[in-house]
Parts: sequence; structure tokens; C-alpha cells
Amino acid sequence: MTDNRRGVTLAPDHAVGFLTDASLCIGCKACEVACKQWNGLPADDITGRLTGQSYDNTTDLGATTWRHVAFVERASGPATAWLMLSDVCKHCVHAGCMEACPTGAIIRTEFESVYIQPDICNGCGYCVPACPFGVPQLDAEAHIARKCTLCYDRLRDGLEPACAKTCPTDSIRFGPVADLMAEATARVETLRARGVADAQIYGDLASGGTNGIGGLNAIFVLNAAPETFNLPAAPSLPADRALPAYASALAAAAGLLGAAFLAFGRRRS
Amino acid sequence: MNAATSPPGYYGLPVIHRSHWKWLVIFYFFFGGIAGAAQAIAAVAAARDREGNRDVIRAARYVSLAAFLPCPALLILDLGRPGRFLHMLRILKFRSPMSIGSWTLALFGAAATAVATGQALDDRPSLLPDGIASLARRLLGPASVVAALLGVLLSAYTGVLLAATAVPIWAKRSRLLGPIFVASAMSTAAAAIDIATESRRIALLEGICSATELAVLAAWFARLGSIRRPLAAGRLAPLFRHAVIGAGIAAPFGLRAIGPHMPASARRAIEVMAALLTLVGGFALRYVIVVAGAESADDPAATFALTAAPGSEAGR
Ligand code: SF4
Repeated sequence: MTDNRRGVTLAPDHAVGFLTDASLCIGCKACEVACKQWNGLPADDITGRLTGQSYDNTTDLGATTWRHVAFVERASGPATAWLMLSDVCKHCVHAGCMEACPTGAIIRTEFESVYIQPDICNGCGYCVPACPFGVPQLDAEAHIARKCTLCYDRLRDGLEPACAKTCPTDSIRFGPVADLMAEATARVETLRARGVADAQIYGDLASGGTNGIGGLNAIFVLNAAPETFNLPAAPSLPADRALPAYASALAAAAGLLGAAFLAFGRRRS
Repeated sequence: MNAATSPPGYYGLPVIHRSHWKWLVIFYFFFGGIAGAAQAIAAVAAARDREGNRDVIRAARYVSLAAFLPCPALLILDLGRPGRFLHMLRILKFRSPMSIGSWTLALFGAAATAVATGQALDDRPSLLPDGIASLARRLLGPASVVAALLGVLLSAYTGVLLAATAVPIWAKRSRLLGPIFVASAMSTAAAAIDIATESRRIALLEGICSATELAVLAAWFARLGSIRRPLAAGRLAPLFRHAVIGAGIAAPFGLRAIGPHMPASARRAIEVMAALLTLVGGFALRYVIVVAGAESADDPAATFALTAAPGSEAGR
């Protein structure tokens, strides 16, 4: 039990996570930098490939990029509206990556976060297409899958994750998921009252972003449709497709082997 | 610059990450399918008419082992950390098709080896001292049943492996992917056996499996909706149409139709040609499905079509 942010007590078996609020993000990318510094991740190589996509030269979450600030500029009357959001691993309640992992390298920690044990992962890469949010990726140097750890090492020492610690506007908040959900609900109400019609929680069973995933431990307050930030509106849990797929595959096998049984008994001409 | 994103999305960037799978996995899907299905075919042939199918059974068992042999190496080399391949067997996880597949392949390898050994001793009892030889031959029956059951799973789980991802073209009609892989595994296994030994029965089976494969592929393609794009247009489309369907399924039927009208001396050559084309088609199918998955993962429109909120337009 350790004291954490704003008097939050961090207890095991108690889901903690992020609330990332698009309406408070100023696009400073301090979270990206803090994450890279704390976790010892190399800088993204942008030499000669500035994207031209607003201020986004990060473009995606990846093996060595665990926070990604998205920038959207869009016309709103005579002015340009700026939308910014710091994307991150969702630490799903039912995680596609974890269900897919054949080695047990991906575990649920005592903080309910989803953690890839680097000494167990053998780089099979199956978690990569199994994440409905495009989060984990194979690292070209370590040859294992890597993604946000929710700063597992910091949590164990009673510190909040580096990105949340550094965020100057409190757009990234860390704490017990239940508390964050209450904060998010209040925030969405405020935004709606101020006329942000698209204000919504992403990662809540009721409001979306979790279809089949049972909720996210890293939730978001969005001020535009999820797709605007490259978030799927109603992702599904890939592992749920396995059982019906086995059933139909085995039924097909039974049918064809039945046909084989008939074919092998035919009178030989 | 105004990036008012008219098609929903973020600068057209992919929403999900594509799988790294390439040639190693494509070859594995091909050989693993043949190995598994050949074992099942051998067991069914033995159950029905052991004497009448003697040559088919023998060929199927050797084909199965031969097709299995490259599989572990292909999968191990595909790992980021090949030295850690044994981590695949540190747990058994029913929810993970990759875990089921690893265990299946490992156990299947042992069973297929036992079956081929028993078959070899059946063919040449003098290979080993009498006691061992007769023991091995007595184990042949049970081993071939175990190998057949594992073989069915081996040829089936690969489709499930793809279906249980977030990749739109693999996920959308997930229940049809398994039957496609099974039918193709059966048709390619039958083709390989057909080349190894002459048998009208195995040629008939090959035709049945190819026809099934065609029917399921057609249903799959038709029901993918907009997500079918990588197969319908672009680089893969001609390959899908001409190599998978044309050369791999239609051409063997055509050859077998004209076969009986040819001089007797040419008939075997025509049959072998048909079987070879089935193998080429089966390989092309694995290639097309794996590469289409990469293209589909890179296409945000496909992901949004798969993950649209219920009732919204994009969900169609
Ligand atoms: S967002 Fe992706 S990587 Fe993160 S827990 Fe969920 S499935 Fe795993």
C-alpha cells in the first residue's frame, strides 16, 4: 500500500488506469517524451519523413512508442478546430493480446493492467493482429512484442505512470478506474453543456469502445467520434471468434471425412 | 491544411497492426494442412477397406510425415526469438489457437513419426529385430487413430488462428475460414497422395474436397461485403481468380473430364498434372489469404466496417 497521486492509495487487486481527456490535451507531447525517457525507449526516426499530417510525426503506437498524440485540424466555421488526443494501450478488461498469447508472457498484474513479460515472450507476434486497437508490436531489436506497461515498475514503487505524472494539463490522469469513470462522466456532462455535442466516454460498457471487451482500464473522454482519432467504435474480442470457428472447421472436416469414407468403399472399376 | 476527415479515420492510417507473417507461415500452413489431412485420410481409408486401400494408406502415411518434417523448423524460424520456442509449451491455453496449434503440432509430430515407423516395419519387417518390430506394428493401429484426430485439428486450427484476430478480412466471416482451410488441406493432401500412388478413389476424394473448397470460398467472398477488397481488386485479385480458382480448382476438373478421352498411356500423366495443379492452387490460397490479411489490416475503412457501432451506417 503506497500513497500515490492526489492521496490515492494504490492497493493490489484494485483496478487502476488512465483517463485521457481529449478536451484538455494541448498537444505538447510531453507524455510521449516522458514515456520514452522513463522506459528507455529510442526516439522515433523522423529524419526525412515528416508526415505532413498536422503536427503528428509519431503517427502510431508501436514497439518503442507507447504514447501517441494524434492531431486533427478541421474546419469549424471560419476557424480551424484543433483536436488532440494522447493514445495509449487500453489495458482491456478482456484483452485480445493476452487471450492470444500462447506462452503466457502476457499477464494481468495486481493492478489489473496488461503486462508483457519480456523474458517470457518468444516473439511469435500473435498478439499483434489480435489487439483490436493496434497496440503491441514486435520490436525490431529485442525481437519480442512490446507495448505500454502502465509503468509497472513505477506502480510497484508507488509512483504514478510517467506520462500521467508529466502531463501539464491533467489531460492524462491516473487512479482507480471507478474514480476515473466518475470523473469522466462529469466531464462529458460539462462538455455537453458547453455545446460539444460529440463529447463521449470511450471505454465504458454503456457508451462504447468496448463491445465484447468488458471495459477498458485506460478510458478516454473524446470530443469527436472515436474514428476521428483512429479508435474503433465497437471493437470485438477476437478470441470470442475461436470457438464458433473451431466448430465449423471440425464440422467441415467431419463432412469431408464422411465423403472420404464413402469414396474409399466404392467398387473398384 | 484542412484534414476534415471525410472518410472516417485518421489520415488513412491503419487502425490495427498487421501480422508479420510471410513466407515461413505460408509454407507452414501448406505443409501442416497436408500432413494433418493425409493422416485423417489414411485412418478413414483403413477403417473402410484396409485391403483395398493398402497403397493409399501407405502413401498417405509417408506423405504425412514428409509434409510434417519442415513444419517445426518453419514455425521456429518465424519466431522473433527462435531460442525460446519451448516457451510455446510452458502452458496450454484453450483460448489461444496459437497455443492449441503448438501443442497439436508437437503431439502430431510424435504420432505421425510412430505411424510412419509402423508402416515402414509393415512394409519391411526385417528392418528391426522381431520383438521391436512386432511391438511397433501392434502400436500402429492406435497410433494412427491418435494421429488422425490430431491431424484433423492440425488442418483445422490454422483457419481459427486467423479468424481469432482483429484483421477484418480474417475476422468478418470467421466461421467460413476454418472450413476453407480444412477443405484445402484435404484436397492438397489427396493430391499429394494421388501423385505418390495411383488410385481412382483418392482422385475422387480430391474432386469432392476441391468442389467443397470452391463452394465455401464463393460463400466467403460473397459475404465479406466491402471487406473483400484485397481479393476483389488490386495485386491479389488476379492471383485469387486465376491461381487459386482457375489453376487450382477449375483446371484439375477440366483435366479429369478430358482424361478418359485420351489415349490410355497419357491418362496417368494427366491425373498427375491435375494433382499438381491442386497443390499449386492450395499453396496460392494460403499465400492469398495471408497477404490479403496484411492488406486488410492496413485498410482503416475495412477495420471501421468491421467495428462500426451497432446500427450505424458503416456497419452496413
Ligand atoms: S489495447 Fe491491445 S495491447 Fe492493450 S490490453 Fe487491449 S488488446 Fe492488449
